[in-house]
Amino acid sequence: MRRIPALIPASCAVLALALALAVSAQPAQNPQNEELWIAINKPAARKLAVAVPELATPGTAALKATVTDPFTATLRSDLEYSGAFAVSDPAHYPPGQREPTTPEIADRWRGGGSEYLVDTRATVTGDRVSVEARVWDLKSQKMMLGKRYSGAVSYVERIAHTVANDIVKHFTGKEGLFLSKIVFVSDRDGSKDIYAMDFDGRSVRRLTSVRSLALSPSGSRSGKVAYTSYGKLFPQIWLMNADGQDKREVPTGIGLNASPSLSPDATQIAFAGSVKGTTDIYVVSAGGGGVRRLTTTRAIEASPAWSPTGRQILYTSDQSGNPQIHTVDPEGSGARRVTFAGNWNDEASWSPDGARLAFACRNEGDFNICLMDFATGQTVQLTAEGSNGHPNWSPDGEKIVYSSRRGGRTHVYTMDLNGQNKRQLTESGNNLQPTWLP
Amino acid sequence: MKRHLTPLAVLAFLAVAVLPLTEGCKKKPPTTTEEARPPVEAPVTPETAVPPPPGRPDSDAAPDVMTEEIAEMNRKGYLQDAYFDYDAADLRDDARTALSGNAEWLKRYPSIQVLISGHCDERGTSAYNLALGDSRANAARAYLESLGVSGGRLRTVSYGKERPFCGESSEDCWQQNRRAHFVITSK
Repeated sequence: MRRIPALIPASCAVLALALALAVSAQPAQNPQNEELWIAINKPAARKLAVAVPELATPGTAALKATVTDPFTATLRSDLEYSGAFAVSDPAHYPPGQREPTTPEIADRWRGGGSEYLVDTRATVTGDRVSVEARVWDLKSQKMMLGKRYSGAVSYVERIAHTVANDIVKHFTGKEGLFLSKIVFVSDRDGSKDIYAMDFDGRSVRRLTSVRSLALSPSGSRSGKVAYTSYGKLFPQIWLMNADGQDKREVPTGIGLNASPSLSPDATQIAFAGSVKGTTDIYVVSAGGGGVRRLTTTRAIEASPAWSPTGRQILYTSDQSGNPQIHTVDPEGSGARRVTFAGNWNDEASWSPDGARLAFACRNEGDFNICLMDFATGQTVQLTAEGSNGHPNWSPDGEKIVYSSRRGGRTHVYTMDLNGQNKRQLTESGNNLQPTWLP
Repeated sequence: MKRHLTPLAVLAFLAVAVLPLTEGCKKKPPTTTEEARPPVEAPVTPETAVPPPPGRPDSDAAPDVMTEEIAEMNRKGYLQDAYFDYDAADLRDDARTALSGNAEWLKRYPSIQVLISGHCDERGTSAYNLALGDSRANAARAYLESLGVSGGRLRTVSYGKERPFCGESSEDCWQQNRRAHFVITSK
């Protein structure tokens, strides 16, 4: 399989290729190879060293378990997860006054290796908590960010996520992911239904109770989710809010109704439809009706995915003899093939900035997750363990959520775009077809 | 051409369609539902014909088929499933043989309505296999129509790789799962 690494100087390509192959050939733990490959693939940006002392909660120690610890742990974990920060070791935080209002205090923080300080304090009144967060530049001793947040004590982690989002936005200019959610399919309660969880796998909630088959959730920034339900015996496309409310059927008048993809503005749904046994890519208005056919081959077509502008639709077709990714515009013209390597490329997802696509790729053996630069066709493989599929981009375009089948179980994982930082988010049942919503 | 399923038909369909989810390949003590399952000796290669199910009645011996309950008809396996090659929806010779038998039987009992479900093995993605299963079910339907069975009696649905008959990762099992499965829904 041709694997030309993207995002790297051409001179590194040969070495990266060799290392990528080495990783592929040895899917068993070989961290040394993987680290090498990743280091070459994308030199890690320098992380900002940030001190995050415990939330100051004046008053009683009784708040430690319910307020202080969950808040502090969540804030530290979020900042690390962003990839922009390294939380410095709390063992080296100086005692006494926190605010670096004098050079002496700032130097004590910097002596522990920190460049920035996130100082947070809480006031608890009844079941309400109010948190003040200040971010200090220890070098200039200037406060960069200061905000007050408040809410129910039971939402203290949500407050921490909001603080982390604001800090990430301040430093990187991008929206943080810490209040985003991942919608996915799970058989944890028996038959396949659709569930949602926080970006880190917490707070799993069930969105559908079809109890037959519910598949392929697809979201957009609108907060709507399209999916396929077998609840009425024959598969139909349905639309619901991301919290599972306001479910309604989207009639298409044709068969199959598989792998729906909601357009960025949530007005249209692309899907795999069937008429007289010929599967093609179709588009239906989100309100139902207005069905139009985009492809006209005798081959099998499935898995459409809109571009962020809504001007192109990626899809899988086996018209060349094996499944490969193609693209077509929403009027059904300009169809062309996009992937050429390997013998099965499928389940494409377009990056939020429009520059790349992630997809399930296979040459021999198991499926992996590949990343392709749309303009150059250059491709990197990001996984080397298990059978991987259904990649989907985080709203900020910095991470990919996907499913991986290992040891007979399929779970949802996230990773960075260089294949680093892989995290398993689910534990129970089989979990697949994730889609990441803002 | 669009028909509504009767409640009885829905029950019969559910009884058979839900089975593969729970059964897997395991050998189980014979039960009444077990007999509705397809022939165990499915062909592995296109050259091997599917053996006819033991319970298939000849034309003279089945004057009272229509007195049977739908669930019983499905248990007895009057209609054979058609099997397919990997990543293909073309009808093999053994599939044509099975479908020809089905066509004769359906023409003998013209009020019978059938659901044909397309199934796939576990290899490949869920969405692609749903499309492939749809092609398989429709290939079976088209062949029956070409043999004179009214298309209005035949509905299709694809379960892709979502409802396998057999849960192991072996070629035998995969072949079991690549099929167009017949269920009588109304008589």
